[in-house]
Amino acid sequence: MKFISFFCVTALVVILLNPIFQYWVIMIIIAVLAMVMGSSGAAAFFGGGLGMGVAWLGQSYFIVATTGSSLAEYMAELMGLGSSLMIHLVTAALGFLLGSFSGWTGSLFRAIMKRKPTDYYKG
Amino acid sequence: MKYLGFIIVLALTIVLALAVSGPLGPVPPLAPLLDPNHGFWQNSYSEDKRVEEEVLLENLSAPVKVTYDEQLIPHIFAENELDLYRAQGFVTAKHRLWQMEFQTMAAAGRISELVGPIALDLDRMTRRKGLGYGADQGMKFLQEQDQETLSLIEAYADGVNQYIASLTPAQLPVEYKILNYTPEPWTAYKSLLLLKYMTDMLVGDRDLEYSNLYKILGGEKLNFLFPEYPIGIDPVVESEHKWDFTPLSISKPDSVTYPDDMLVIDPLPQPEEGIGSNNWAVSGTKTKSGSPILANDPHLSLNLPSLWYAMQLTTPSNSVKGATLPGALGIISGFNEHIAWGVTNATKDTRDWYKITFADDSRKTYKYGEGWEETTFRIEEIKIKGAETYLDTVVYTGFGPVVYDKSFKSERQDVNFALKWNVHEGSNEQKTFILMNKATNHAEYNAALNNYTAPAQNFVFAAKNGDIAMRIQGKFPLKWKGQGKFFMDGADPKMEWQGYIPNEQNPSTLNPSRGFVSSANQHPVDSTYPYYVFDNSYEFYRNRRINSRLMEMNQITIQDMQALQFDDYYLLAAEALPTMLQLLGKEYEANATGQKYIQELRDWDYYADPNQKGPTLFYIWWDKVYDQIWHELTSFGVPIVTPSNYRTVQLLKEQPEGEVFDLKKTPELETAAFPVKKGFELMLREMEELVSKDADYQWANFKKTSIQHLVPQFKPFSVENVYTGGGRGIVNATSERHGASWRMVVELGEEMTAFGIYPGGQSGNPGSKYYKNFIPLWADGEYLNFNIRKADQADAVLFQTTLSPNL
Repeated sequence: MKFISFFCVTALVVILLNPIFQYWVIMIIIAVLAMVMGSSGAAAFFGGGLGMGVAWLGQSYFIVATTGSSLAEYMAELMGLGSSLMIHLVTAALGFLLGSFSGWTGSLFRAIMKRKPTDYYKG
Repeated sequence: MKYLGFIIVLALTIVLALAVSGPLGPVPPLAPLLDPNHGFWQNSYSEDKRVEEEVLLENLSAPVKVTYDEQLIPHIFAENELDLYRAQGFVTAKHRLWQMEFQTMAAAGRISELVGPIALDLDRMTRRKGLGYGADQGMKFLQEQDQETLSLIEAYADGVNQYIASLTPAQLPVEYKILNYTPEPWTAYKSLLLLKYMTDMLVGDRDLEYSNLYKILGGEKLNFLFPEYPIGIDPVVESEHKWDFTPLSISKPDSVTYPDDMLVIDPLPQPEEGIGSNNWAVSGTKTKSGSPILANDPHLSLNLPSLWYAMQLTTPSNSVKGATLPGALGIISGFNEHIAWGVTNATKDTRDWYKITFADDSRKTYKYGEGWEETTFRIEEIKIKGAETYLDTVVYTGFGPVVYDKSFKSERQDVNFALKWNVHEGSNEQKTFILMNKATNHAEYNAALNNYTAPAQNFVFAAKNGDIAMRIQGKFPLKWKGQGKFFMDGADPKMEWQGYIPNEQNPSTLNPSRGFVSSANQHPVDSTYPYYVFDNSYEFYRNRRINSRLMEMNQITIQDMQALQFDDYYLLAAEALPTMLQLLGKEYEANATGQKYIQELRDWDYYADPNQKGPTLFYIWWDKVYDQIWHELTSFGVPIVTPSNYRTVQLLKEQPEGEVFDLKKTPELETAAFPVKKGFELMLREMEELVSKDADYQWANFKKTSIQHLVPQFKPFSVENVYTGGGRGIVNATSERHGASWRMVVELGEEMTAFGIYPGGQSGNPGSKYYKNFIPLWADGEYLNFNIRKADQADAVLFQTTLSPNL
């Protein structure tokens, strides 16, 4: 459940805020969200990764569908990726990497924060 | 343990973020490039999907309306010239920013800043030729003598800069994203530099090659093979023209000594063969409508984004439309409501080399006459990506810069030669175009041209009142016969240029009786012109084809003129092939393939249309025959030029038994039949190889015309194998990499009727549907309507933008 909600929130953040902010700002936001929402490591990693990866994939397909531009094909050829499908996938993979590590970092940070109060009560 | 885990993952995340944010060797930063919200994906949007109805601009005095027609051609309506050029800068930058900046980086010798040490030699060469120095002189000239023009150029620069300031990362042209840099501010200096760059593109010299030829052949044979006025030439200014002025006197030194060394070095890079242009105007007496028609098609390297950008520029007193050069003000080839004009390159030797004798290694003085002259040093600071800045010291003499010296290509034998070139002088080409844009008659056209120095052009002209004219304008040195054809001694003051031909004595003609004027880079004049005229690269074919067609045509329509611009008649073939077939004789009757090709050549109508096979066969055969004829000359292993096709065909036809065809190394006496037969044999071999790879040897498939992105490595942004006819020396001069970079036909009736096309598109963005949409039309010889639009005209509008003063 946490995975799905974190996935949705991440995707939403990318779609709404990435047009305004650069990707590294989005990474920080994802990390903060993972921390606040208390997702577990796996949920934060895969939710954040898939959220950003799928959002980027969707955005790239949306752009091609609405513009009819061949630029993606040209760029795929220029970068030696062969077909435009590959450049969509590389974009999605990059989004996944950035989102997943950001989410994971956030969830681990929360884990550290949580530990102290637990120790305190026990002590 | 949790701390450790957190720190490791945090570190990994940071490393990942940094890795995709910076360049990895030649690979650009991945995340900024691939982010769908800011990276290259954003360049997928065509301009009509990114419409801004209003943009606030600083320094405007009144709102400026920009109407884009369906081809994305902007029509700018401004209240005054300052607003107009500010808007031109803004709008041009919006569509062509990367190209503008890249071209001026090349002109300034700054490519190393973008690509690293690999371009250092190129940059040093550009700077050592003195293009930047020339632009500096141009700026000085404007500051001292023409503040008015300077203020317009600065308004243009301001427009460009306001666009740059408004750019978001997403809107940055894709080339910046790939090459990982950002635009820098535009300056008036860059506009001047661009025009110097055009000169560099269009002007060459063959002093080195002629010096070598003189040594190999001697004066007499040189003149025989390279006559300065071969029989049958058809000059720009008609032969019957009478020169009604008293020429300035030029004193030729009693004795002229030419350099005696054989120079085993590479010549300075020359303008590429195939760069040339056509223009003509026919008077109302020859047209169906009774109004003059003007046509222009400059041939340049075929590139994307196109060198040209179409525009209309309107103020309350003037409307002008045509092709602009992104980075320069006004229209370069176009028309207004009164006149039309066009340009072709007027090749004439305006670049000479002088041997410099320095007093000592310090190079502070050099010998001049009986005494010594001082030099100056210009330090060129070349920034290099990924390496330390390189400081290059260039010595300037009274003649110009010393291009090759002990620190640059010192292995050459022409080290310590100074380059004298009119591009180094303060000049005001920009003013010519600003004035021409609003000229209303022949006198105003002439007044505009008086400001023009280089690159020399044949300016064709037609006016609504019926006048047609041609003027060859540039700043041409006064030379005695033969001066500057070979290297000269800079220590001898008698070798100096003796001034310049006055503007009013430059070749020109107004309303000649034949009813038309035309130019196609041929000899500007015949031998009756009282000044010395020389260049190695004069055209012999396009000009004669155009003139013979114009001579026989009457009741001419716009469509006739469009057809003539697209004319594929291969005059060289028509003149050479019958003789070649005759000289070949019956040698190949038994050879089935040979016979097939001979038959195809015999059946050919000499038109180099895309689907013809004849032009391919002739092209290869002629190439081999020509090589065979001049083989002994080229085998000396020193840089030379070989005689023109025109002279070669003359010798083939008129002196087939002549001495030039005899090979000195064999005891037999060879005649013209020898290279023709040998050439055919070589052609058969080449065809065999060609056909084994691709059986289709139709002309277009063989020629493979390509329109290349300015960065040749960006192949996907280029268009290859364009199916179109024409070729070198053909009126439709579309060869592999060169051709009509802009075609325009204007009829000067009560209302101007105009058509234009160029091989590209209005957008500089490879992701836009307007990037290359003109190419199929251009390849088919079709045109777009280029009529002047009124401000309130509502039809065929793509979108409008108002540039409003930011008060």
